[in-house]
Amino acid sequence: MSEAVYGAKCTACGAVSYPRHLVCPKCRGEAFQPAEIGGEGVVLTYTDVYALAIDYDVRYLRLAIVELDGGLRVTGQLLDEEPKLGKRVRTTVGVVRETAGKAIYGLQFVPA
Amino acid sequence: MGHVAVVGIGQSRFGIRSDASLRELAFEAVKACLEDVGVQLAEVESMVVSVASDELSFALQPSAQVTDYIGFHPKPSFRVEAACASGSMAVRAGWMNVASGLADLVLVVGAEKMTEVPTPIATEVLGRAGDSLWEYPFGMTFPGYYALIAQAHMAKYGTTEAQLAAVAVKNHYYGALNPYAHMRKEITLEKALSSFVVASPLKLYDCCLISDGAAAILLASEKVAKRLRKNPIWLRGLGLGTGSLSLAHREDLTTLGASVEAARQAYDMAGVGPKEIDVAVVHDCFTIAEIVAYEDLGFCPKGEGGPLVEDRQTYIGGRIPVNVDGGLKSKGHPIGTTGVSMAVEITKQLRGEAETGRQVPNAEIGLSHNVGGNGQHAAVHVFGRDKE
Ligand SMILES: [Zn+2]
Repeated sequence: MSEAVYGAKCTACGAVSYPRHLVCPKCRGEAFQPAEIGGEGVVLTYTDVYALAIDYDVRYLRLAIVELDGGLRVTGQLLDEEPKLGKRVRTTVGVVRETAGKAIYGLQFVPA
Repeated sequence: MGHVAVVGIGQSRFGIRSDASLRELAFEAVKACLEDVGVQLAEVESMVVSVASDELSFALQPSAQVTDYIGFHPKPSFRVEAACASGSMAVRAGWMNVASGLADLVLVVGAEKMTEVPTPIATEVLGRAGDSLWEYPFGMTFPGYYALIAQAHMAKYGTTEAQLAAVAVKNHYYGALNPYAHMRKEITLEKALSSFVVASPLKLYDCCLISDGAAAILLASEKVAKRLRKNPIWLRGLGLGTGSLSLAHREDLTTLGASVEAARQAYDMAGVGPKEIDVAVVHDCFTIAEIVAYEDLGFCPKGEGGPLVEDRQTYIGGRIPVNVDGGLKSKGHPIGTTGVSMAVEITKQLRGEAETGRQVPNAEIGLSHNVGGNGQHAAVHVFGRDKE
């Protein structure tokens, strides 16, 4: 798998933001370099969404907000049969949605 | 700055209103509002219209639909938008119109038609009220956002599913007494707890309805208000806060920073605190949202929102009656209408004109709390029988 998800690393203070902002939320800097988003972290909260929007033919989707080591918080799909708040997970990149025959890639979390 | 009064109120019945178009719903509310105070449309100088969604209402330039249908042109009218808080933005814009001296008599209208599209499409459109580029593509839905908040709140404070359900039971109890409500039906705790899961831990009865409906208020300067009404209700405090687009970027997932900020501004401006509020309507798009609102508005300490409703402290007779019109939960949530309908309800309560069984006795100061999306916007308004 060569897919990756990128955020933006502020060249002034080094803070990584994802998704990127026009101005660094930490230091108001305006210059960035791409920074790959990933690694390990903990599940802050999750939910199983049963009433889904169009494009999905699964019974439910398990979604989570994860705090990555280093403090960055990201949203993604949780691929874990035994989910728990506070549990350690690591990121992968996979197809999170298919719309009009096109695959959309995004962050997914699996047990660390 | 001049004082601003609410001199007229009106609203349509909420529900699946296949009998009426957007403009007809708006007209229903406007007509009731003008009749409430005995003002002719010709006397109204300016108008603000709130319609939240072009895609649900099939209305680009909805303000023109409304002005044309009621015959308002060529006078000023424009539309405002902040998702589910759009109605409160219209109230705020109306207040600015009057307080600035631009106009003495301003009509504020909220209208939304949500039931013309199938539910999965509505789910899709509403899901995009969050971060449409970075959260929604994962399959995030609107209930999904509040479910994430609920899980975090339950983990941090021990809030229970039964406490969430208690919000629904209360709001349905009062909604049953409100002739304008969409679902006028009481529910039991057991029924709420056994309904199907929409986004865990939120079940069907934790979620508000998808409704059609409209509401209108007439705002006036002090000079004109005194001519129109002996005891107008005054819009004493306004607060507007904003929050991050992505839920993930919130430092604390158990609070809406936008609500806290809006409440601070509104209390400051009105010169009152949460203890002085006699009646409140809060944004209960989901039961957890009402519990978080209790805490963000200072009705109870952080983390004690669950016990507050479980102890029936937000019923009439309790510490602070909340959503005794049925709330979004039972009255319904035509998204662009809600903020205006909240102003209608608080005015009604402060006038002592609410229906039997849901009038808070001798209410003098009331508050409305209206959230856009999952906390990207929040508006808090304080109303009073006295102007300061
Ligand atoms: Zn920086």
